[in-house]
Amino acid sequence: MKLRKLKQMEKYLISILIAYIIIVSVVSKNFLSVNTLFDLLKTSSGTLILAAGVLMVLISGGIDVSFTAIAVVSGYSSILLMMKLGVDNIFFALIVAAIIGLLLGIINALIIYFFKLSTFITTLGTSSVFYGFMTTFIGTSSISVADKPQSLFNFGKATLFGLPLFFIMAVVILVITWFILYRTTLGRSIFAIGNSEESALRAGINILKTKLFVYSYMGLLSGIMGIVYFSEIDLINPISLVGTELMVIAAVVIGGIRLTGGEGTILGAILGVSIIQIFRSTLVFLGLSTSWNDLFIGIILLVSVSLISYQERKSNKEHLIFSK
Amino acid sequence: MEKIKKGLKSDTNISVLLVVFIVVTLVLGFMLQGKFFSINNFQSMAFQISEFGFLAIAMSLAMLTGGIDLSIVANAGLSGIVAAFVMSGKFFDIETMNNVVVIIIAVFSALACSTLCGLFNGVLIAKLSIPPILATLGTMIFYTGLGMALTNGESVRVGVKGFSRLSSMTLGDVPYIFILLVVTFIIISFILSKTKFGREVYMVGQNPITLKFSGGDPEKILIKTYTLVGFLVGISALIIISRVNSARMGFGDTYQLQAILVAVLGGIDPDGGKGKILGVALGITVIQFLQSAFTIFQFTPYAKKLIWGALLLMVMILNYFINNKKVIKSLKKVKAN
Repeated sequence: MKLRKLKQMEKYLISILIAYIIIVSVVSKNFLSVNTLFDLLKTSSGTLILAAGVLMVLISGGIDVSFTAIAVVSGYSSILLMMKLGVDNIFFALIVAAIIGLLLGIINALIIYFFKLSTFITTLGTSSVFYGFMTTFIGTSSISVADKPQSLFNFGKATLFGLPLFFIMAVVILVITWFILYRTTLGRSIFAIGNSEESALRAGINILKTKLFVYSYMGLLSGIMGIVYFSEIDLINPISLVGTELMVIAAVVIGGIRLTGGEGTILGAILGVSIIQIFRSTLVFLGLSTSWNDLFIGIILLVSVSLISYQERKSNKEHLIFSK
Repeated sequence: MEKIKKGLKSDTNISVLLVVFIVVTLVLGFMLQGKFFSINNFQSMAFQISEFGFLAIAMSLAMLTGGIDLSIVANAGLSGIVAAFVMSGKFFDIETMNNVVVIIIAVFSALACSTLCGLFNGVLIAKLSIPPILATLGTMIFYTGLGMALTNGESVRVGVKGFSRLSSMTLGDVPYIFILLVVTFIIISFILSKTKFGREVYMVGQNPITLKFSGGDPEKILIKTYTLVGFLVGISALIIISRVNSARMGFGDTYQLQAILVAVLGGIDPDGGKGKILGVALGITVIQFLQSAFTIFQFTPYAKKLIWGALLLMVMILNYFINNKKVIKSLKKVKAN
């Protein structure tokens, strides 16, 4: 297999990452250690799983902000179901959560497709509905460490080949996503509807099927991530996580996606997530409080989108392409 | 009368809203009676509407151009903090100064900050062609970051006496800030319907390329619009900190969803180019009536969230059917000819 050349944005991100890691390790001797790396891999697994779905949605030309709500709703409900039925099995939890996530994703896709609505506003609405529904009718009380099913603890501590199991899962999901996007006709159709829905339709692509796949895949991954997330933290609190969706989108966008859809790479998304995660967990090493987090991420995001958009604008001008 | 009838017919959305408005008022009035139709309730609604009304107008303007502004709440937070810093003597000594002078400086610096933030959004969107949703996502995180880094996430108390009175003063029973909101509605409505700039805002939303080829400058219009959005956000920020008497990042986070909800409910098309400010005014009133009813019914914030989200989806789906009926009708006409 021939490796493709790195894109310009990916080169920038890799240099930023390396420079940052060097600075932090010079300032703080504790930083470069197996433990830190292990922690980093573990904490970024959930975000990586979500990022795979977000990347696909962004490539298809849409934007989905309901995935954290889906993650919490499916994760929390399936754990409650698990406790009620007395089934202490991680596969049960994962499958139930994935099914709930899938169904919620299908709801998103159907609304977006049949009423031709803006994806952002639709998912903003559905995220409030999903989350509001759960908190009103299912419950908001957190599950204490004592009541938490043992299988979740085991799942949280499990390792494979010396690596956290979460991380292996994230890698597998990223590989599957890469395969779907770059090696299947389905993937080609996702890129095609991102570039131009009109042309894709005329080329004979089934828009409904493609959108159903994209949003239900996002839902499915969110469901899985819900269980991963609740296994990783000690206390299961259903009012956490929601509100972090924009950060995940930011991470994927930083990775250099063409913002009107139709382009984007898995490596870029991984780099974006790494940068955000590393900032989040290492600003402390530099002696800065976490309040500075948003400032740095905001700056990197703005620089990244500015660079990509400006290049596209310049090339559009040269080729006399007028687009919105 | 004829004119009004014609106007109602031509604008389905406003007439639907009017019906919704009347139904909501009657139902709430019937269910709650004295509790709802009391001067006290109306006065407290007038206060709350003014706090958030400016954000709704701002969001509507951004959506009219076919964009969206995710940074309004972050911008309001940052500008509020700047004003609170001035009034707590963090930037310069205020002990020796007259309170009125300090307040005027604070007002100007908050408005300057929010307008600059708006201008920055506009430049990113117009000059670098960044899609509005991602440009303002970036600035949202950036402005929040600035505010957090400046305050470490803590709230800043306003140290000047009298500033909180600005938002609580009333003329008779009507709060001054409510009058300010009504005046702003009239001005923005006038600008949009009667001036060249207003026409061009609609044209940018409908088709910027057509505007460009007919001699307009879409980029300039976008920058101007987002700057105006920033200015309106600044007014909202001042009202918020005056009512709470302190400033903190993250205050009013729920306003983001509500502002979009009001704009969509008011008939602003998220794809841009369609909608009237009058609709937004009606939308705000409906939302505020419901909001205060929810408070009387003691709904949890979660139930509220569920209702807002469901309402947003229902309104958009309803709009889809209304608009599609029009399209189908006009298609039939074409065929008949």
